[in-house]
Amino acid sequence: MRKLFKKPFLSISILMLVLLSACSGKSSETTGEGTSSKEGDVINAKIGVISYITGPGAAYGEAITNGFKLAQKEINDKGEVNINLVIEDSAGKQEEALSAAQKLMSDDSIVALLGPTLSTEMNVVGPEAELNGIPIMGTSTTAEGIPQIGEYVFRNSLPEALAIPTSIKKAVEKNSVKKVAILYGNDDVFTKSGFDTMKKVAEDMGLEIVTIETFQKGQSDYNAQLTKIKGLEPDLILCSALYNEGAVIMDQARKMGVDVPFVGGNGFNSPQVIEIAGKAADGLIVATPWFGDKENPKVQAFNEKYEAEYKMKPDQFAAQAYDALYIMAEALKNAGEADRDKLKEALLEIKDLEGILGKFSFDKDGDVVMDPTVLIIKDGKFKVFE
Amino acid sequence: MLLEQLINGITLGSIYAIVALGFTLVFGVLGIINMAHGEIFMFGAFIGVIITSTLGLPLWIAFLAAIIVTGILGYMLERVALRPLRGKQGVSHLAPLISTIGASILLENLSHHLFGAGNHPFRNAFAEISFQIGSITIYLVQILIFVISVILMIVLSYWLLKTKAGKALRATAENIETASILGVNTKRIIILTVVIASAMGGIAGILVGMAFNSVNPQMGLSMGLKGLAIIILGGMGNVRGAMAGGLILGLSETLIVAYGDSGYRDAVAFITIIVILLLRPQGLFGQKTTAAGR
Amino acid sequence: MMLVEIVNPYYLQVGSFILINIILGLSIYVTLSSGQLSLGNAGFMGIGAYTSALLTLNFDVPIIVGVIAGAVVAGLFGILVGIPSLRLQGVYLAIATLGFGEVIRVFFVNWESVTKGAVGISGIPHIGREIFMVLKDAGFDPAIIGLKNNQFVFLTVFFVLLLINILLVWFIFRQQNSRIGRAFAAIKMDEKAAESMGINITYYKVLAFVQGALISGFAGALFAHVMSYISPADFSYHRAVEILIFAVFGGSEVIVGAIFGATFLTLMPEMLRFISEYRYMIYGLILLLMMAFRPQGLIDVQVLHWFQKLRLPKRRAEHGSKNQKHL
Repeated sequence: MRKLFKKPFLSISILMLVLLSACSGKSSETTGEGTSSKEGDVINAKIGVISYITGPGAAYGEAITNGFKLAQKEINDKGEVNINLVIEDSAGKQEEALSAAQKLMSDDSIVALLGPTLSTEMNVVGPEAELNGIPIMGTSTTAEGIPQIGEYVFRNSLPEALAIPTSIKKAVEKNSVKKVAILYGNDDVFTKSGFDTMKKVAEDMGLEIVTIETFQKGQSDYNAQLTKIKGLEPDLILCSALYNEGAVIMDQARKMGVDVPFVGGNGFNSPQVIEIAGKAADGLIVATPWFGDKENPKVQAFNEKYEAEYKMKPDQFAAQAYDALYIMAEALKNAGEADRDKLKEALLEIKDLEGILGKFSFDKDGDVVMDPTVLIIKDGKFKVFE
Repeated sequence: MLLEQLINGITLGSIYAIVALGFTLVFGVLGIINMAHGEIFMFGAFIGVIITSTLGLPLWIAFLAAIIVTGILGYMLERVALRPLRGKQGVSHLAPLISTIGASILLENLSHHLFGAGNHPFRNAFAEISFQIGSITIYLVQILIFVISVILMIVLSYWLLKTKAGKALRATAENIETASILGVNTKRIIILTVVIASAMGGIAGILVGMAFNSVNPQMGLSMGLKGLAIIILGGMGNVRGAMAGGLILGLSETLIVAYGDSGYRDAVAFITIIVILLLRPQGLFGQKTTAAGR
Repeated sequence: MMLVEIVNPYYLQVGSFILINIILGLSIYVTLSSGQLSLGNAGFMGIGAYTSALLTLNFDVPIIVGVIAGAVVAGLFGILVGIPSLRLQGVYLAIATLGFGEVIRVFFVNWESVTKGAVGISGIPHIGREIFMVLKDAGFDPAIIGLKNNQFVFLTVFFVLLLINILLVWFIFRQQNSRIGRAFAAIKMDEKAAESMGINITYYKVLAFVQGALISGFAGALFAHVMSYISPADFSYHRAVEILIFAVFGGSEVIVGAIFGATFLTLMPEMLRFISEYRYMIYGLILLLMMAFRPQGLIDVQVLHWFQKLRLPKRRAEHGSKNQKHL
């Protein structure tokens, strides 16, 4: 009996030892210099970033971290706040996001967390941040109920619950819509929660929903769903999809002769839609916090700097990340020192902060208060929908 | 509307059939389920995108390039994932399945790094040609896909039944050692099989790109699993069964969207796998003798 | 006190994932030890996770009951799938279980009224926090042993999982050296010969399959109560492949192999960032190379003997056969 017990137990304990000693080996990317202490008038702060840097959604993480780094450079150059970013990868997975968060949170010198990228990740990381009393701000988490996780959980990304009603209302008004069809990806959290909002808004507005169709990840043939929708002749199609799938859907729809406008959620809003679908993208209506062609010197300056630095146009993910760091910097300035609890209080106080997304405030939960702009794609370009 | 849906179903089904033909060829000869076939198909589609959209070259070059590249991939797959396991003492029949799963994961993630995660449009003037019958728009590509799948099936059956190489291939499928004794160069035959199967995957890839204008690294997995379901439905190693199975799956997926719940579309293939394996392991068109236990 | 510094929640978190992955590695190990390959373990894991999560959330069942129920329900599904699948061998069984796993996932996505679809279930009771609450009500304060609240929570999770792991390894180890284990090994080597020797292969094959399902379901239920959040995407084909890699890489012939595989492959991306980016490419390569050069995995009986010789030079090896069919 003892002999039987010995071998596996021994190997387990050896493995655990190896594990404990090896964990510390994980390297993380640190940008900027300085420690979190106060020197003269400059507030030094270390902020942890959890982002989707590797894997299928790596493009989002890249845009987000680019936005952070650009803002960091500008803020540090101004000299009032010196921010130090510690960037960790989550690979879009809850487990890894949680591990990354634990790693960052257990470093007492880190005052706040930015990210993670996906709402699913935030659902796991948020409660832990709340438990540990560290402010966490999502810059791309748009699902229902994120800031309601706890007092320390914030976001500056426009939630679907705010974006979708605005765009649907405008589209219905302008095109005197009565019948709508809904198409959404049912195996993705993001598109599914967008659909829930769409359905609710359509019902509240008394629109007739002629059909609700779904699609799944990795699918490339949407003809069956679109043919069905075509036969029912809706005035408007509500489509909760990420831009990758959404663009293909529009392309196939236009080819089939479906020419009614589409309303999309946050994930559908990307210049990439035009890249992929070309002319077929015309007629897509989205509400967005970010409009790159806005006649605003701040926005144009951001565009130029971003393009010079990263050789591509910024999207809303980059823009939201950029503003998020400015919000953090402002709150740090108001808090007067790099302290987790003081920072949380200062964040809640943020009001009408002028950023590239417009005027920004938090509500009592730490959710976004702002007016989105409704855009439509016309002749291969995003334009303000009026 | 039914007519339009039938056209959609046949288009999808024809593509499934071409993918399944490659699957079934490898299985028929080697008795191996090539889990990497879907990813080879995906690579073919990407080659098509690069040639036509990025380089702006004509379509026939795209077909040629895709066939060559996927053929080479097939050769490498045989060398790396299949040959080392063949004839080795004490290697179980599960080993090739696992090594091709490995190849599929490797290829999928390689294409993430090479081409990026997003969807790539397939811009080609040929894909835009269409004509109108009543309210129905039919694209030339849709007809082409169906025609190509039928031709491939006929050529493959003819080649297997009538030509010398085909006979050698069937002899190898029957029994590798005996075929080898009878003077068949089995090594060459096996390579030939995997290369031809992969090239067919490449052709299917370009056709999907043209038909649906969407190419991404994830498409291989879903197509691979569908192809798997089809050869189980049609009978493993059965060429005509693969064709029929492809059309059946394509049509039933389309019809479940049209008249049922589109959320269960993907379940059709997987439920087919389970039901067929449990009730009729030899497939709809297979003979009883090809027993399900290899 | 020193303890405060040593008990780092990050290490414990990673440790907990390792322990859960070890259970998953063991689940495929048990099935493989009878020569069957199941690619449906992610599906069984999902069944366990959803069962336990829904029971604890909707019916206020204690976690321990939920976890056991999750494992049992997964086991029942294992019987349901296992018995008819007996007609299938080798590759066909693998494909059928792969189909099963995907059907289960599609089902979770579509059964929205109960599973909330792709949005997933959040707010699942957390093992550590629940134990902490109970102890706190009993008047216990982690500060007594010099720990912060969250350190205590993670330490609890870690030790609960460690205990479960030890018990499970012990059980499988005992079973392996019993009549059942020898029957599994005989079936793996040659089914027909095993049958002619009077081994009831039907019984033992279903037993191995159901054990695999049960253990996966158990791991899934624990996963749900450690993550507090689950969604259908957690139980996809990729998870099934990941579980398979644990055993293929570490070794599918000895328990230590699966344990080592799960530990090493969970730690690898945590330790080396540049690897994290190429993680799945490396997984693919591992599968390819292992099959070509070392189908039995890194650790096999010979390696274990070698280790034993190092430690106990005089002792003779007890078992092991040269003619074993790998994997």
